[in-house]
Amino acid sequence: MINLLFFGRLGDFAKQVPGTIEASTPAEIRQLLAADFPDLARELHQPQVLVSVNKMIVGWDQPLFDGGEVAFLPPVTGG
Amino acid sequence: MTTRIRIQQQDFDLAEEYQLLRQSESAVGAVVTFCGLVRDFELNVDGAESIDSLNLQHYPGMTESLLESIVEEANQRWDLIAITVIHRVGNLAPSEQIVLVGVASQHRADAFESAQFLMDYLKTQATFWKSVTGNGKQQWIESKASDQQAAARWDGSGDE
Repeated sequence: MINLLFFGRLGDFAKQVPGTIEASTPAEIRQLLAADFPDLARELHQPQVLVSVNKMIVGWDQPLFDGGEVAFLPPVTGG
Repeated sequence: MTTRIRIQQQDFDLAEEYQLLRQSESAVGAVVTFCGLVRDFELNVDGAESIDSLNLQHYPGMTESLLESIVEEANQRWDLIAITVIHRVGNLAPSEQIVLVGVASQHRADAFESAQFLMDYLKTQATFWKSVTGNGKQQWIESKASDQQAAARWDGSGDE
């Protein structure tokens, strides 16, 4: 299973999303979520949204392994 | 180089942080500090809206390592003796302190420039997200193109 995290405004769209999913890439997760959460999936397709695996920024085709942590990151606004 | 990186809910004391930077080595000839504060309004498409509180979210573990990379990059680009970065998270009220960047170096140019670099990179690369509450509704702050432009000036070979 892959653990899912949604930060910033993405969290508002992901309140009903289960915390874990079976998938082999972040792109597949996005595709799987589109069925039940089309608004969230649309947000995840925004080009500014980044994805990390185990706290490292990666590409959407990064292979995932059981127990991994995938986080979806909207543009940052700290400071 | 001495580094202090903190992500915390509690406030920080600028005078205390300044003394730590100042006393980090006897070679210190310049200290620059920057503090970011919570404004009592937020500019958006509808104009200026007053806010009651600001909330800062971060990604524990990842945010710390991104700050470490940004600090390391500043250390490679300038001749620095000490760097302090403190960023608060959680709920903050208007006029509270959000962030402190402090740099100690032998000469002022290194301290001034690296402090700006650290803030520009922190604002565009470190995983923090702000939301504000005002008039009973919460909204996420949008990232600003001006922040991206400020960070982009440090790219390339210094020919800006």
